[in-house]
Amino acid sequence: MIELAVSRLNKRFGGNHVLKDVSFEVNGAEMIGLIGPNGAGKTTLTNVLDGAVKPNSGTVYLNGTRIDQLPSFEVAKVGLGRTFQITRSFRRMTVLENLYVPALALGKSHKGDAVKEQAMEVLEFLTMAHLRNEYARALSGGQQKLLELGRLLMLDPDIIILDEPFAGVHPKLMEVIYEYIRRVNERGKAMIIISHQMDSIFALCKRLLVLDYGDLIADDTPENVKNDPVVIEAYLGTTEDRTGTGERDDEMRPSRA
Amino acid sequence: MNKQRVPQLLGVLIVAFFVAFPFVYSAGNYDYIMHICIIGFFYAILASSWSMLAGYAGQFSFGHMAFMGLGAYTTALLCHYFFISPEPTGICTEFAIGGQYLIIKNAVGVTSTTLTQDCLAQAMEKWNGTVAVTRMPVWLGVILGTLVGGIFGLLIGLLVLRLRAAYLALFTLGFSEILRATISAEIQITRGQAGLELPSLFENGITIAGHFFSKTDKIPPYFVMLFLLLGCLAVLYWLSQSRFGLFVRALREDQDAAAALGVNTTRYKVMVFVVTSSMAALAGTVYAHYVTIITPNNLMILQMSLVVAMAVIAGVENFIAAAIGAILIEFILEMLRTSFSIGGVTIDMTLWRLVFFGVVLMLTLRFARNGLLAPLIDYFMRGHVAAETVVRREDDAPGGDDPEASADRQGVQA
Repeated sequence: MIELAVSRLNKRFGGNHVLKDVSFEVNGAEMIGLIGPNGAGKTTLTNVLDGAVKPNSGTVYLNGTRIDQLPSFEVAKVGLGRTFQITRSFRRMTVLENLYVPALALGKSHKGDAVKEQAMEVLEFLTMAHLRNEYARALSGGQQKLLELGRLLMLDPDIIILDEPFAGVHPKLMEVIYEYIRRVNERGKAMIIISHQMDSIFALCKRLLVLDYGDLIADDTPENVKNDPVVIEAYLGTTEDRTGTGERDDEMRPSRA
Repeated sequence: MNKQRVPQLLGVLIVAFFVAFPFVYSAGNYDYIMHICIIGFFYAILASSWSMLAGYAGQFSFGHMAFMGLGAYTTALLCHYFFISPEPTGICTEFAIGGQYLIIKNAVGVTSTTLTQDCLAQAMEKWNGTVAVTRMPVWLGVILGTLVGGIFGLLIGLLVLRLRAAYLALFTLGFSEILRATISAEIQITRGQAGLELPSLFENGITIAGHFFSKTDKIPPYFVMLFLLLGCLAVLYWLSQSRFGLFVRALREDQDAAAALGVNTTRYKVMVFVVTSSMAALAGTVYAHYVTIITPNNLMILQMSLVVAMAVIAGVENFIAAAIGAILIEFILEMLRTSFSIGGVTIDMTLWRLVFFGVVLMLTLRFARNGLLAPLIDYFMRGHVAAETVVRREDDAPGGDDPEASADRQGVQA
């Protein structure tokens, strides 16, 4: 069974304490939403989990292997894959070549048809088979998002972190992404979805993690999170005095989704 | 004929042309044209290997000519200072190796040998021709020069791991200038601007198929450089088609995304520096033995700019285009040396040809960012892609499920 154990993770950028003692676990093929206002630390948490950024303290174990000090490429091989908030397809490479990268990085042979067949299956699933030889730069923004998801299928990690998978996507393509998430989850993969689109998050996830200024302020079911006064205050804003000055602190916050 | 086969066929024809050329060309300027060909092949190795580094891997380095120089100076220093003698000199640094002595000549800089003789010259004067001293073999210099280029490529690759774009370009430019300045300054060892003389590739001549070629004949170095170019292109082709080629291109596109997909970006970034700097150094060693002198001017930024311009004008993202472009541009630059008059005003093309070259470079960058040759190759190799995409879009359109209509469309494509 998939096991991700994040324990007391801290990350500072200069004087900015971006992650504060963040701890949570993922057990099995869970579908988890990670929400929070802009600047809450969601992307930093993703970067720390995938090895792009090293934490100042804390540990991360994936299936018994400590990954918080490993470089990104090794974390990917241990079994954690991610997409990026701003799509990062390999623009001057063809769609097929984009898909070959993770497969060959895993050590699969590029000789023979096995990898190509796997890539074509992925493209059929993503309704992009006809674009296989196009350069990624020729794709629309939504198609490039699908391509990123396709690369993850080729990497076949145990845990997938999707950073804003629905942002700027046409409703028709969004259906494909929904279907992708459901099917991949059914295959026994755990998923952490970062999104500001609450409808999608509530529809897909059975567990939500809420970050606010680097604090993990909630880890519960969507229903409970919705009614949690701390989350409501953090996400929607209240007139409560957080600064101790007797004034609202809204100006100190980053913008809300 | 399948359109995709056209570039392959052209490639075979071009190779056949260059193999046959020395035997069918017989004009009075034979040696001059052969020389341009040899220099063209030399630049083709540099441009194609730089294309792998900058065009494929996105490592825009200005240190390529420095690696070439490292190779050239390694073999030059080896041939200049290291000798094998059956007798010890007693005054040089020397080591006994299996009945022979490895003599290391002392450095006397550019001082005239009539005033200050090096230790070996003194010993040979004393021996009065009774002892035969031999230089280090050229092939050893070529191997060592290539190795030194590769080792420095490894070091530079490790040093620039965290550098990208302009910072990488400036770092490698700095490395190149430091090397050139060091060689210029270390007159005692490198003879500074006076340069180091080297033995010819075939110092004692060579007999091929019963025909003797002297050391000044152009045919042996022509084929050495041509086969070196073909060998380098074969290695680059093999690399480009392997996971190495795929990963370095992913590295060029987005290093972080490539790492997140399991690519060891550090390893491939260093590897591409080692491979391409070794090629540049290899070309440098052979070039040095062909022209038989190497000076710091060979490492000048102008030379590096020429290699960059050759690759960019032809198409930096295709090493075959870069190689062909380098040969063509070398020829064009030579042909443009002929001055002419317009209305009584003489245009000195020895100066204006570089202006012409600069204008071509600027126009290419402005209007054909993929170069002039690479899009042509793409036209043949990727001509089917657009049609392939459109066919599927038509299938997706209403009525697209009609098997007959679909079959018709496929037939049209075939």
